[in-house]
Amino acid sequence: MVKRVLMVYPEKCTGCGSCELACSLEHEGEFRPAASRIGVFRFEEAGANVPMACFQCEEPACEKVCKTGALYRNDETDVVAFNSDKCIGCRMCVIACPFGNIAYNRTAKKASKCDECDGSPRCVEFCPSKALDYPQAEGENLAKKREFTDKMRKALAEVK
Amino acid sequence: MIDITINGKGLSVERGVTILEAAGELGVRIPTLCHHEGLPPEGSCRVCTVEIEQRGGKKLVASCMFPITGPIAVETESDRAVRARKFVIGLLLNRNPKAIAINELAKEYGVTPEERFASEPDLCIRCARCVRACEINGTNAIAPAGTGFGRFVSAPYGQEPESCVGCASCAEVCPTGKITYNDTDGARRIWEKTFDLVRCARCGAQYATKEQIARVGTGEEDARFCEKCRRAVFGERFKKS
Repeated sequence: MVKRVLMVYPEKCTGCGSCELACSLEHEGEFRPAASRIGVFRFEEAGANVPMACFQCEEPACEKVCKTGALYRNDETDVVAFNSDKCIGCRMCVIACPFGNIAYNRTAKKASKCDECDGSPRCVEFCPSKALDYPQAEGENLAKKREFTDKMRKALAEVK
Repeated sequence: MIDITINGKGLSVERGVTILEAAGELGVRIPTLCHHEGLPPEGSCRVCTVEIEQRGGKKLVASCMFPITGPIAVETESDRAVRARKFVIGLLLNRNPKAIAINELAKEYGVTPEERFASEPDLCIRCARCVRACEINGTNAIAPAGTGFGRFVSAPYGQEPESCVGCASCAEVCPTGKITYNDTDGARRIWEKTFDLVRCARCGAQYATKEQIARVGTGEEDARFCEKCRRAVFGERFKKS
């Protein structure tokens, strides 16, 4: 399987929320942004929007605290995958993710996180302004992703 | 690899795979109650009973914890297997007449309550999913106590469990809803222990117990916000940088 990366370009995001609707429909069968794995944060005064989804960390804090192996690295795709059948609802991953990218679904009694729709993310498909992209993880794309993670690292340092 | 058959269908499996897992691969459904993918098998409910033929003999086994080590022929719906399963469901139904999961199974198998069985209505089916969840979390706050019909799940000596962090896994894996937890007035109540819920510094939502956060081991700074606010704060910083 070809490795791909979910790229986010906040400067192109219009804050329309199509990604959230596509995501919640795909995973929960309903149009409910609150149940979406991707979340758009709208900063109205600054006129900026930032879509946030799981970064598929190299050393995921969530995977480290998961005792049942429900969260694991899919070596084929490099995605931090989630097997909901194995989830026992302890919520340690929700607390552990420094970016808040795992949520807990009290109805399903399971955690919920972005799985990149097993290789064809619906959010990317429905993003009208191309603020989301899913290119192959190589060459220029990877360089861009690195630029992005550098930015993230700076942001994280600021949070701390 | 070992060649087996399930309901006549052939399959090659690795040594040590359970019958339930092999059946899953073939798309053959075997009903379960105490089985949970994320927990070690317990074999306490016996609802997943199947009949196997091995070395010329036939016997009933719990498919969730029977590791395949040699060529066997499995029948999931043989007369004997179904009769055994119905009997078990009947016993469970008498003891747990209000458990939804059991009523569904009883309906599926056409089982009705029988007067000759002891009845002492209770939601707990003694499957020990809760105990196993607590064990795998490393907290070991609850365990089965008593023996036989009087077996029940309890915190040590029925007192407040010292090592419990209030994660509520036990309640979340309970198949019948016997174990419950309650988040009100800034506190979580479970196993008769009260936990303070930490308030998110940004939105004020009460999102986890102090003990849970301590157990995860994230720094206090990281745990100031609930997951939604952590995301928002990070997004904001990201936008600025």
